[in-house]
Amino acid sequence: MSDYLWDPTSPPDPETERLERLLRPLRTKTAAPTLPQRTTRWMTPRFLGPALAAAAAVLLMVGATWRSDSQQIGWSIASVSGRPQVESIAAREGGRLAVGQAIVTDDSSRARIEVESIGAVTIDVNSRVRLVESRDSHQRLALDRGTLHAQIVAPPGQFVVDTPSARATDLGCVYTLHVDDDGVGLLSVQAGWVAFEFKGREVFVPSGASARTVPRAGPGTPRYDDVDQAFQDSLDEVDYGGDAKRTEPSLEYVLTHARRRDAMTLWHLVSRVDAAHRPAVVDALARLVPMPDGATRDAVMHLDRAALDGWWNALGLQDASWWRVWKREYPQ
Amino acid sequence: MTPAGRADRTPDGAALAATIRAAADGDQEAFGRLYAGYVRLVHAILLGRVPRIDVDDLVQDVFLAAYARLRELRDPAAFGGWIGAIARNRATDFLRQRRPEVELPAELPGGDAIAAESLAVLDAIRKLPEAYRDTLMLRLVEGMSGNEIAERTGLTPASVRVNLHRGMKLLREKLS
Repeated sequence: MSDYLWDPTSPPDPETERLERLLRPLRTKTAAPTLPQRTTRWMTPRFLGPALAAAAAVLLMVGATWRSDSQQIGWSIASVSGRPQVESIAAREGGRLAVGQAIVTDDSSRARIEVESIGAVTIDVNSRVRLVESRDSHQRLALDRGTLHAQIVAPPGQFVVDTPSARATDLGCVYTLHVDDDGVGLLSVQAGWVAFEFKGREVFVPSGASARTVPRAGPGTPRYDDVDQAFQDSLDEVDYGGDAKRTEPSLEYVLTHARRRDAMTLWHLVSRVDAAHRPAVVDALARLVPMPDGATRDAVMHLDRAALDGWWNALGLQDASWWRVWKREYPQ
Repeated sequence: MTPAGRADRTPDGAALAATIRAAADGDQEAFGRLYAGYVRLVHAILLGRVPRIDVDDLVQDVFLAAYARLRELRDPAAFGGWIGAIARNRATDFLRQRRPEVELPAELPGGDAIAAESLAVLDAIRKLPEAYRDTLMLRLVEGMSGNEIAERTGLTPASVRVNLHRGMKLLREKLS
């Protein structure tokens, strides 16, 4: 790479300089917005004394009920069709789903629940969804069975959905989550990303891809929705088959039929297969996307996180480090 | 040591934490410093995703949304990644809600002052994978150095270097 591309104070590279010149008129020129007023102007001695006294009195009166009130904020029920129920009572538009309550739809009803700063969730027919937690920075639903469609506008990591076999953490996206009566789930992502996790087994599902999840086994390897059926079946066999005689040819099929974009799937397989099969997966992935500078085969074989993250970044999907930041910020 | 080409408008470390605290309390000047340090990041992310005519309004939306939630940010060092994620979400939300539109061609009389060639390059960058697109927008549109990009986004310098290198290669292919 030319030094100029990295450091604009270096001697210019003509091609990069030409592109910069063309794009310079598009640079930002906007000024900072004026902030809406917060309460700081009231923080003066003149106001603080009486205000604190009044506040103390009010706090004494409402303190005992504050916790229960805060738990009742919940989600609003934006629309319903058919006869969905909240705790055996017909749900109505404008009503609320409080923490601890479940909304249930039958074969002819649907409901849409929302929180303005978080997004909206449409609950499909024959579904049961519970609101487990609702705080400003953390919203948690549980999908016991059925299907929900989530459109989330909150910052990544603030909205999660538990299923019987995995937890879906929104990373800024639109997705559909389905859970069968036996707890088997399917996550399909239409925009953005979802992290799917069960007992430390974690997958990242990008837009256009899906991942299954099975009770006690957790999420399977994500795959793009346009892979052929044989590829899907082979991958399921690798994830959940358990029969070595069938697993090996299935893995071989996946490795030999993976396209360039299926590097996303192979990257997940590197850490999911056992040590005996890992070299074949690493070789197949390297044929699709060369191992980046700084990562070594030995480090990848030992599942070194930095090496795997570096290779992930080389896939050109999205840098892994921001997700690490979010996991620190919002530990689940 | 100060990284080469680093902008002098972005507070860092303890100063960044203090600036965020003050901005969260409604200090317009502190908020202005945050804005100056990160507006190019937000602008580049949005410009890579939404029509140009809407970018400036959305930049303002993103910073006001960040202001409203600033007290929730526990690690000041994560501010760049945090506000970048808000910008990506806002762009996704905007695209989902808007009616289908087509940007008018630049050569229309009385139309866009931006040269058609510039818009062609912008269009090519918008078609790159997300990681390359954001990094190239920050470098080629906003004029940031590799080190600045790493610092603002929270990515490692090695990741930025890879994104710049591969993104530029893909961009050349698209433009040729």
